[in-house]
Amino acid sequence: MKSQNEEKKYMPEISQKEINELRNSVKATSQRVIAENIERMKKTATNRPEEMQYFDEIANFVKREKEIRAAKENGKKVIGYMCLFAPTELILAADAIPVRVNSGWYDTSKLGDRIVPVEVCPVVRSTIGAKMIGLSPYLELSDALISVLTCDGMTKLGEILSDYKPVWSMSLPRVKDSDQSLRFWSEEIKAVKGQIEALTGNKITRKKLKSAIELTQKATKAFRRLQEIRKGSPVIMGRDAMLVNQTYMWDDIERWTEKTEALCDELEKRARQKIWACPPDTPRVMVTGTPMIWPDNWKLPTLIEEATPQGVLIADELCSSERILYDPVGVDEWSMDDMLNAIGERYLMASTCPCFTSEDGNEDRINWLLNKVKEWKINGVIYYVVRGCMLYAMEYTRVKKVLDRINVPVYYLDTEYTREDVGQMKTRVEAFLEMLTARIDI
Amino acid sequence: MITAGIDLGTQSVKAVILKDGSVVSHGQAFSGFDPAKAAEQAVGEALQKAKLSINNVDHVTATGSGMDMAPYSNSTISMMGADAKAGVYLFPKARTIIDVGAEEARAVKCDDKGIMVDFIVNERCAAGAGAFIEAMARALEVKLEDMGPLSLKAERASPINATCVIFGESDVVTLIHRQESKPEIARAVFDAMADRVSSMVHRLGIKPDVVLVGGVAKDVGFVASLKRKLGIDVLIPEHPEFAGALGAALIAVSRVKETQK
Repeated sequence: MKSQNEEKKYMPEISQKEINELRNSVKATSQRVIAENIERMKKTATNRPEEMQYFDEIANFVKREKEIRAAKENGKKVIGYMCLFAPTELILAADAIPVRVNSGWYDTSKLGDRIVPVEVCPVVRSTIGAKMIGLSPYLELSDALISVLTCDGMTKLGEILSDYKPVWSMSLPRVKDSDQSLRFWSEEIKAVKGQIEALTGNKITRKKLKSAIELTQKATKAFRRLQEIRKGSPVIMGRDAMLVNQTYMWDDIERWTEKTEALCDELEKRARQKIWACPPDTPRVMVTGTPMIWPDNWKLPTLIEEATPQGVLIADELCSSERILYDPVGVDEWSMDDMLNAIGERYLMASTCPCFTSEDGNEDRINWLLNKVKEWKINGVIYYVVRGCMLYAMEYTRVKKVLDRINVPVYYLDTEYTREDVGQMKTRVEAFLEMLTARIDI
Repeated sequence: MITAGIDLGTQSVKAVILKDGSVVSHGQAFSGFDPAKAAEQAVGEALQKAKLSINNVDHVTATGSGMDMAPYSNSTISMMGADAKAGVYLFPKARTIIDVGAEEARAVKCDDKGIMVDFIVNERCAAGAGAFIEAMARALEVKLEDMGPLSLKAERASPINATCVIFGESDVVTLIHRQESKPEIARAVFDAMADRVSSMVHRLGIKPDVVLVGGVAKDVGFVASLKRKLGIDVLIPEHPEFAGALGAALIAVSRVKETQK
């Protein structure tokens, strides 16, 4: 932990009294939002899976915060990360706890405005604001942060947070399809491995890394199983599935895997019995774009699934949901070098983040989107962008072109970290769903 | 069969009554603080003109930003869906409908049956909509309805930036300080708006025929600027401000037919 007296590069000095007041009020709002979101999710889903109860519980940060705190008291270290490129297998192999710390709180984005202009991405502003008032249990409990230099916002976010915590920056090549990129990235992986070992005092042995990789592969299997089930008629609403995906970012990996498998058992049974979460002819929507983070930034999936006419979120291409665990680390030989190379490849090559480009542009994301539309039988795509999210905004034109070619409607929806524009968004989402319904009827 | 469409817009409520699918009357009222009451007034006016009572109406469909507050309504339709329906009814060859209202500009692409296939709405900012003209008319001390004719007298165009009503206003003040004439400033205002609307329509893709509806379609200044920017002809119906209500009333006809099946 950095000394409190050290001069801060970015963060303003705020009185403890103001911090406490702000934290208490935002925390109260957050608890209310969590309860309300879950209530509304229960109301929307007819036959909501019973196994969702566990995820509802873990969605309320209280339980997990207690567990992590207790683990820390027993000497465990916590390593936070912002982008999905952080190699969590290495964290697990060092007996540390990985947690993702990006903030989904609307109210703290306004606090972030004290440090960076409103034009900056609200995910970044909100995370800064959350740190200012110590709101996020996972960010607070982190002993160090892994900051992968992806978009401009995330690059500077790590720098700003280094006012409080040790931040390990990992430089990411923007062109991934080349040998030198992979070599460079592998070196970054090795460097961060050294930092993790130094912080935890635990050596990452071959055996420990192997079991961490296997543990994560098991989680990936459950994660993929849930998505596979959603290819069929809806047995789970999109918001419920999104919550399951997202709780992985802070839950205990073994328990999460077990609970997700149990949920999938229940869902497969329902599919056999034809017990649907909503009418099977409900328009099937996919969302892609800026990450949507629990608990506040749940407004788009909520609007889609509560709209008239109703839609159901069947799939997403978001780094806050279906991108989290989809790709496993593939190892041939379980030597240390091989495992590290496999980790490097998985995090770099499999990513569809728009921070990449190449001779063909971000071809991987385009192909993956087209594949999802086809495999998950998507009727329409909502391209969701928050103000300041430059890379996603800029890739829209290309995505629209390829979706136009296969005659799948896509709508560009821009918004902010605010509750006030829900009315306007509703008009647009409902018009889009009305259009999809009309197409299905024809 | 009698049907009614109500369009609860941000500034005014419009109502249209159809008899067997043909327009018989219009009604209009300011939305004000009580849009539901304004809607009753607008419908009341239209019914009175048609010598009908609400009990004679078989189906009422509401649209517009306040559609959830609409009185008498049996169903709703999105504003984009209503625009598409009305556009093709008024001009059968219409495939792109641009609707510029008080607070919002949008464009809809549709098929030959008036079913929308794609749409786009201006970013969360009123600079491409009617409120922009109002704000600029105030800055110029000109009546709103005089802005259009005034702009047509301009001999040249001076560019301003319409990314936002507030910044647009400060640009206008700069022109005033440069002692530009009022017609030229008025033209600059319409050009800036038309710029915003035309880039929006280009993002959607233009498919002729193009129809312009919404209250702002009545402004000759805006229409001239938009035609210049788009470089193609734009069709305007007789009562462009009633397009949303008309579309809703037409949707009401199909909803009645659906239930009769």
